[in-house]
Amino acid sequence: MDNESVIQISNLTKIYRDFWGRKKVRALNSLSLEVKKGEIFGLLGPNGSGKTTTLKLLLGLLFPSEGEIKVLGQPASNVEKNEHIGYLPEESYLYRFLNAEETLDFYGRLFKMSAEERRKRSAELIEKVGLGHAKKRQLKEYSKGMTRRIGLAQALINNPDLVLLDEPTSGLDPLGTDDMKRMILELKAQGKTVLMCSHLLADVQDVCDRIAILYGGELKVMGRVEDLLKEQDETQIQTSRLSDEAIKEIEQVVAKHNGKVGTIDHPTATLESLFLKTVQESKERPGQRFVPDTQEKKAAE
Amino acid sequence: MSFDPIPYDLFDALKHFLTVFGSTMLIAVVVCLLVGVLTRGAKGIGDVFFGILDFFNQIIHISPRRIWSLSTLTIRESLRQKILFVFIIFAVLFMFAGWFLSGAADRPDLQIQSYIDFVLKAISWLVIPIILLLSCWSLPEDIRLRTIHTVVTKPVYRIEIVIGRMLGFTLLGSAILLVMGTVGYIWINRQVPESVRPNLVSKVPIYGEIKFTDREGAPSAGLNVGDIWMHRSYIEGATKARAIFTFKGIDESDAINDELNLQSSFEAFRTHKGNMEKGGILYQFIFVNKDKGLRVDTAPLINKEYLENRLKINRKIMHESEDGKEKVEVDIFDDLVDDNGNLTIEVQCLEAGQLLGMARSDLYIRTPDHAFLSGYSKAVFGIWLPMVLVIMLGVTISCFVKGPVAILTTMTIVLVGFMSKEYMAEILSGKMQAAGAIEAWYRLITHMNSQTPLPDGPVKFMIGIVDLGIINFLWLCQQIIPNFGIFSNMREYVIKGFDVSWDAALLPGIVTTAAYILPCLIVSFYSLKLRELEAK
Amino acid sequence: MNTLTSEHRKLAYIIAIIVLLIPVIWLGMPSTGEDGSGGELAKLRVEHELGESTLGDVDPSSASMNFVLLGLRGIATNLLWMDANEHQKKKEWAKLRSTVDSIILLQPHYMKVWDFQGWNLAYNVSAEWDAVEDRYFWVKEGIKFLNEGVTRNERFPELDWKVGNLHGQKVGRSDEWRLFRKFYKVDPDTERFENGPDPEINPERLDNYQVAKEKFLFANEKELKHKQHLQMRMLFRASPWHAQFDYANAMQREGKFGTQRTDAWDQGFEDWTEIFGREEFITPKGSVVLEWSEPDIENLAKRDNVSKEDKRYWTGRYQNMVNYLFWRTRAKSESESDTIDAHKSLYDGEQLFLKAEFDGAKAELEKGMALYASVLNKYPSLMHEDLAIEEGLQAIILWRYIHELKGLKLPESFPLKSLWIKEQGRVPSLESDLRRRFGIQ
Repeated sequence: MDNESVIQISNLTKIYRDFWGRKKVRALNSLSLEVKKGEIFGLLGPNGSGKTTTLKLLLGLLFPSEGEIKVLGQPASNVEKNEHIGYLPEESYLYRFLNAEETLDFYGRLFKMSAEERRKRSAELIEKVGLGHAKKRQLKEYSKGMTRRIGLAQALINNPDLVLLDEPTSGLDPLGTDDMKRMILELKAQGKTVLMCSHLLADVQDVCDRIAILYGGELKVMGRVEDLLKEQDETQIQTSRLSDEAIKEIEQVVAKHNGKVGTIDHPTATLESLFLKTVQESKERPGQRFVPDTQEKKAAE
Repeated sequence: MSFDPIPYDLFDALKHFLTVFGSTMLIAVVVCLLVGVLTRGAKGIGDVFFGILDFFNQIIHISPRRIWSLSTLTIRESLRQKILFVFIIFAVLFMFAGWFLSGAADRPDLQIQSYIDFVLKAISWLVIPIILLLSCWSLPEDIRLRTIHTVVTKPVYRIEIVIGRMLGFTLLGSAILLVMGTVGYIWINRQVPESVRPNLVSKVPIYGEIKFTDREGAPSAGLNVGDIWMHRSYIEGATKARAIFTFKGIDESDAINDELNLQSSFEAFRTHKGNMEKGGILYQFIFVNKDKGLRVDTAPLINKEYLENRLKINRKIMHESEDGKEKVEVDIFDDLVDDNGNLTIEVQCLEAGQLLGMARSDLYIRTPDHAFLSGYSKAVFGIWLPMVLVIMLGVTISCFVKGPVAILTTMTIVLVGFMSKEYMAEILSGKMQAAGAIEAWYRLITHMNSQTPLPDGPVKFMIGIVDLGIINFLWLCQQIIPNFGIFSNMREYVIKGFDVSWDAALLPGIVTTAAYILPCLIVSFYSLKLRELEAK
Repeated sequence: MNTLTSEHRKLAYIIAIIVLLIPVIWLGMPSTGEDGSGGELAKLRVEHELGESTLGDVDPSSASMNFVLLGLRGIATNLLWMDANEHQKKKEWAKLRSTVDSIILLQPHYMKVWDFQGWNLAYNVSAEWDAVEDRYFWVKEGIKFLNEGVTRNERFPELDWKVGNLHGQKVGRSDEWRLFRKFYKVDPDTERFENGPDPEINPERLDNYQVAKEKFLFANEKELKHKQHLQMRMLFRASPWHAQFDYANAMQREGKFGTQRTDAWDQGFEDWTEIFGREEFITPKGSVVLEWSEPDIENLAKRDNVSKEDKRYWTGRYQNMVNYLFWRTRAKSESESDTIDAHKSLYDGEQLFLKAEFDGAKAELEKGMALYASVLNKYPSLMHEDLAIEEGLQAIILWRYIHELKGLKLPESFPLKSLWIKEQGRVPSLESDLRRRFGIQ
């Protein structure tokens, strides 16, 4: 993994204004983050925390009030960068009167793709997202899950280097969720960078390399998932099922080394608990960055 | 709108366009610079500069491939919205039209006019509103449903979305027009009674310039007989009063079978009954060639009112020589057309006490006819042009307001452009008394007639100020709103059996439509560029 | 879910459309004017003599127009009316005619529209044209337009009356009456009508006044059921009989003094005294009849329980209102040979004068004047009627003019001198009329 950064956000602030130009909502407040090439980066946060706003700012759908954005080394307002970007919007905003093939063909034409390439690519993607049976039906007849799938296919039509996914698993059944996660990991395997935002924590935990948690437009937590979740003053032993005797023996060994045995079930904290803690903390102490009980915290102390 | 084909002054129009366009652009840039400097300081100037540059940058980089795919999307969208139902209305209209039109007038020649009028009106009344609705609705709907998000996050310039829409609707509208035009053409051909089929042509007229002389032979503006319609001027019979028509650039190619065809429709005004049974007032034409000192009379002719009086004159005319002793043969094209290629024809009314009225368009040289299709297709083209204009306006306006508002705005512009252009011009000409809106209200409420001057004082001052503002706003509207009347003129030509004139109708139509391309693109570019496509 | 495929559904729609169109065409197609043509509704309408006003809006065109306009027809009518005015101003006659037709589609039962536009076509538009044939064409258009109004409206006797008036007064009394009356029998569009009249105007090849009389009779018939608001009832109902007099008079004006003319006057006298004269009209004192005898007065007085004097007074008053006695006398006198001779001589005198045969004219006029004087002596009540007075005065004016031309001295006494002296007030305007007519400078 090289360290080339794909997305650079520095001091990004977004203020929504009403018709008369009066400030209404401060959706993002001096956000800075960086996404490196080849990683899967997760943006987390409760509803209204600024995840989607960040994504739309990255895509140039919204204009920043302050701060700077560089995507693939170019400003967000630059249209040409979109050549290498795939975007799956929150609710798959697609033309309902087109069928799957027509949809992919239409978006394919917006890129520099030949007819032959488009045909091959869309057949491939339709197969990949599992819509082969429904490719001639108009999208208005699609279920939510099918719409998500064709949405993802649409985002990948140009074989992008950077994929932006807005709530990729929302509305999918467990099987679909699993498929989606598999496909995201596949993208990573192909060396692509993925930025996804979601509030479905389990999904994020499963696929993301790094995450950032936003709350009220501010960055609260950022780091590698495993780092953030690793309880540093504990050691986890996972074995096959042991007899009581064996457990006792182990306890003795631990005692011998001045250790103390805690619980034996759930070994790590879940992302869920981290998330809830972050939100709780943010409510109690607004405006401060949340530092989880991790190694860094210890080190800082 | 009178039927008076006046050649279009392209240069003047261009100058006018450049003045209006240029000054608007200048004002816009200055305002932007000011705002930029005020809000962002020196950086503002750079921003404005880059903003302007961006337009050219995008225009240079637009890709026909992407525009084409956006166009096909637009067409597909419209088709899936059952746009083609319009053909059902069209078909029903045509199935039953015969019922209503056949009784229109018991005169086959007038009947043709109603048929053509109906066909062209039906087509434009069906196509233009539908296209207007489509073009105003499509983009805002795209933004509302956020389907545009998926598109603009592809490497697509926003201006391409606009152009794609315009092009798509234009293609769709063209196809509809083509079908309807063809059906209409066949329908007219089938409906027209056999007896007047020869009238179903496109006449190609050459109009001249007209001057009048009074009863003593001195130049004048002609007489006014008190007709409310001040279109025609009159000459008195059996005096030296003449109407002098000068036709430019006449040569042999304008003859039909070696005959000069003069077609006239003068209006008679009788001061006494005279001989009623003859069917009209006597008049004659006099060909004048000053270069050769020739004056050649035609035989007296009877003026049939409101009909086309067609006079075919063999190019060789026997004519009494100066001394009146012998007959000489003169050739119209060789002898009577002067050295500059002008043919001068004087019209003289021959009956004492009777007056003959005419305007510039009442006498023309009919050159070989074109097929009816020629004029008809140009008239359909004359529906196409405003359709394109409506599309451009609709799409542009829908870039910055929501669908229903865009529809209302565009509709207003179209209606004002169709109906009130002349009225606005009249108010702005300053010839109207008490033209100010507030002043008119004031007079209405206080029952004051328009001759009495307003009493001095603050009221007058206030009225003056507000009215000045309104008048200036009206002036602005007058400059911006396209003159749709130009397009309905084209229909008039075909109804009256003429080929559509290039100079007086087609060219102004094309130029009018073309004039809106750049402004529409600029406005839509900046309104989309500066807009966050988040319909909240 | 619908089990039909999209193709099937489309096919079903098309079939449904066609199925629905069939009854529309079958029911709604308007009649072309021939018997048995048009849709069922049109046939029924003709068969039962039902105008729309009794059936309600059944004309598919106007009903559907109103439907489409969703109650905005008043506004639409106003706009069209303004359009019509504009077309008239710019002399776009075809457009005017079709705009008027559209107005009628929207307002088929509004009498004023028919009345105004019919009159507009026959009078205003007609007068705008220069050639008499064209003027006649537009008179016909006006008549046809009003005819349409009559068939669409069963309840307006006024419209029938207006039709009669166009046939009678417009054709027979315009400045162009000679040609109009000729065209009425032989339409100027000889090719189309094969040297006959326009069958829509004059299907039976009659005189215009005869047709006018028929139309007025229709109006009278309708008037019994539906009140008219045009003029006094008695005047309205006298119209057909006046048309008969006009018919006779017109022949005279054209110099036809044969039996046809005399028969027409006889017929006129009969109609006037036996039909019109016997009709009962309501006065404040009960009914009266204009052609009365002593027993009539008595019976009516008894029936209505008023005095005989009252009856007599009101009868006299009503007679004056319609000039009853004059027309009675006139019609009667016109069938006498003296009267005929007098008219003939005066007419011949005029004709000779026109040919500049002044001696002959003088002799004929003198003969006519003498005869006319004796007629007036016999029927003094004629001396109170414009037409009769003017005929006499006109002869004297021409006769005096001939004297002037030839430098003769006017004789001291001449027939009709008393009339001449009594009616001096009318002379100047008559003289100028004659100048125009005969081109005397």
